[in-house]
Amino acid sequence: MKIWLWRALVLLAALVLWEAAARMLNPILYVGPSRLPPALGRVLATRDLPPLADHVWLTLAEIAAAYALAVAGGLWVGFLLGLRKTLGRIYEPLLAALYAVPSVVWYPSLMLFFGLGPASKIAFGVLLGFFPVTLAVLAGIRQVPATLITVAESMGAGSWTVFRKVMLPAMASTMVGGLRTGLALSVVGVLVGELLGARAGLGYVINYAYGLMMTAEYAALVVLVAAAVLLLDGAGSLFEARVKRWAG
Amino acid sequence: MIAGAPIVVDGVSKRYETPSGPVAAVDGVSLTVRPGEFISLLGPSGCGKSTVLGMVGGLVRPDVGRILIDGDPISGPNPKKVALVFQDPGLFPWRTALDNVGFGLELSGVTATRRREIALGLLEPMGLKGFEAKYPRELSGGMRQRVAIARALALDTPILLMDEPFGALDEQTRLLMGEWLVEIRRRTARTIVFVTHSLYEAIALSDRIAVMTARPGRIKDVLDVPLPYPRALDAPEAVDLHAKLWAQLREESLRAMDGQR
Repeated sequence: MKIWLWRALVLLAALVLWEAAARMLNPILYVGPSRLPPALGRVLATRDLPPLADHVWLTLAEIAAAYALAVAGGLWVGFLLGLRKTLGRIYEPLLAALYAVPSVVWYPSLMLFFGLGPASKIAFGVLLGFFPVTLAVLAGIRQVPATLITVAESMGAGSWTVFRKVMLPAMASTMVGGLRTGLALSVVGVLVGELLGARAGLGYVINYAYGLMMTAEYAALVVLVAAAVLLLDGAGSLFEARVKRWAG
Repeated sequence: MIAGAPIVVDGVSKRYETPSGPVAAVDGVSLTVRPGEFISLLGPSGCGKSTVLGMVGGLVRPDVGRILIDGDPISGPNPKKVALVFQDPGLFPWRTALDNVGFGLELSGVTATRRREIALGLLEPMGLKGFEAKYPRELSGGMRQRVAIARALALDTPILLMDEPFGALDEQTRLLMGEWLVEIRRRTARTIVFVTHSLYEAIALSDRIAVMTARPGRIKDVLDVPLPYPRALDAPEAVDLHAKLWAQLREESLRAMDGQR
C-alpha cells in the first residue's frame, strides 16, 4: 500500500516538474502534460493525420506476427542447441557474438530484403525478440538440476517424459523471463522499424506528426505507446510471478 | 508384503574418462545380497560405492561384469524391482509432497485417486500428516528426505537402494532417520543396499557391512552385524565391531587421502 502511495507521489511530482519546465520554454518544442489530452483528441479527430485506428491495428498485427515467429524460432533453436550438445558447442558462441552486435545495424539490410511494408518491421521484431527467448531456453536447460533427471530416469521415465515432466517445469521461470523480454524487444523492433521508414503503422503516424511539427500530437502518441507498453509489461510481470510461484 | 529380491553383483568394473585420463572407479566388485537383507557399502569418499549402487540401479552401465536381480541381468532402470534414494532428496519443487510421492506411480499410469491414497498412506506414518499439500521449500531437510524415501517406497519394489540418504542431514536428524528406517524395514521386508561413509550408521542399521577399498573400489571385507534392534552403539559387541571396521577403513581412508594429493 505504502509503495503505491510513493509511486503515485513520484509520478505526480514528475508531472508537476514537467509541466513547470514546459511552460517556461518554447511551446512549439516543449509540450507539458496538460496539453496531451486535447492533443490526443485532435489526433483522433483530425484529417491532417492518417486515421489512427487502422495504424494501431496494423502495428499490433505486426507485433503479434513478429513475436509469434520470434518465440517459435527462439524455442526451436534454443532446444536444438541446448539438447544436442555438439550443435550447442558449435553454434552457441556464434549466437552470443551475433547478440552482441547492436541490432539496428541489420535494419537497412532487412528493408532491402523485405521492402518498405510490414514484412521488414516484422523481420526486425523477430530479430530482436528471438535472442532473449533462445538464450533463456539455453540458460533454462543448463539450470535443470541433474538429480531431478536422475530421479525421473530411475523411475523409468524415457527422454520425452523427462522433457515434459522434469525439464519444462524446472525451466519454466527462466523461460518465462526470456519470453517477457522477447515480447518487449519485439515491440521495440516493430516500432523502431516503423519509425525508421514505413508507409503505415503507429510508428509511421508518430513520425508523420513529428515531421509536420505537430509536437503536442507527437508527444500524445508517444505517451500512448508508453502507456500501452507499460500495460503489456505489467501483464507479463504478473504472469511471470505466477509461474515463478508455481515452479518454486 | 514384499519378500525382497536377491542381488548378484558379478565382477563389475567401471572406468570414467576424465580430462587427465581414464580413472578406474570400480575394479572387479562381486557381492551377493540375500533377499530381505540390509547391507551397507562402507568406504572412503570417492571409492566407487555410489558407482556400484548406480550400476545396481541400472543408471550406470558396467564396463565389465554383470548384475542379476532375481536372476535376471539388468539392462537399465527397473522401477518394478528397484527404487533409489539419493543424498540430495531431488524433490520436484513444483510438486507438493503428495504429488512428489505420487511421481513414480504417475509414470506407471496409476490413477490420481489411487496415487493419493498410496501417498497419504506412506506420508502419515512418516510423521508427515498435514504436510501433504506443502511444497518442498516449505519442509525441513529431514522432512524432504522422508518425502523422497516415501516416493521411493511408493513404487513398492522388493529392492531399495539408498545412496548416503542421510548424509546431508544434521547428526540428531540422522540418528532419528536411522531409527525410523529400521522401523520401516521391520514393517516391509525389502532388500536394502545402503551406501554410507559413517561407521555408526552402518553398525546401527545393517545386517552386513561390505567395506570397500580406496579407488579403484574393491570389496575389502564383508562383516556380519549379529546384533538385535534397536541397537545400542555403546554395547561391547558394537564397540568391537567399530574398532574392527575403523582399522580397515582407516587404512583405506589414508590411501584415499594420498590419492587425492
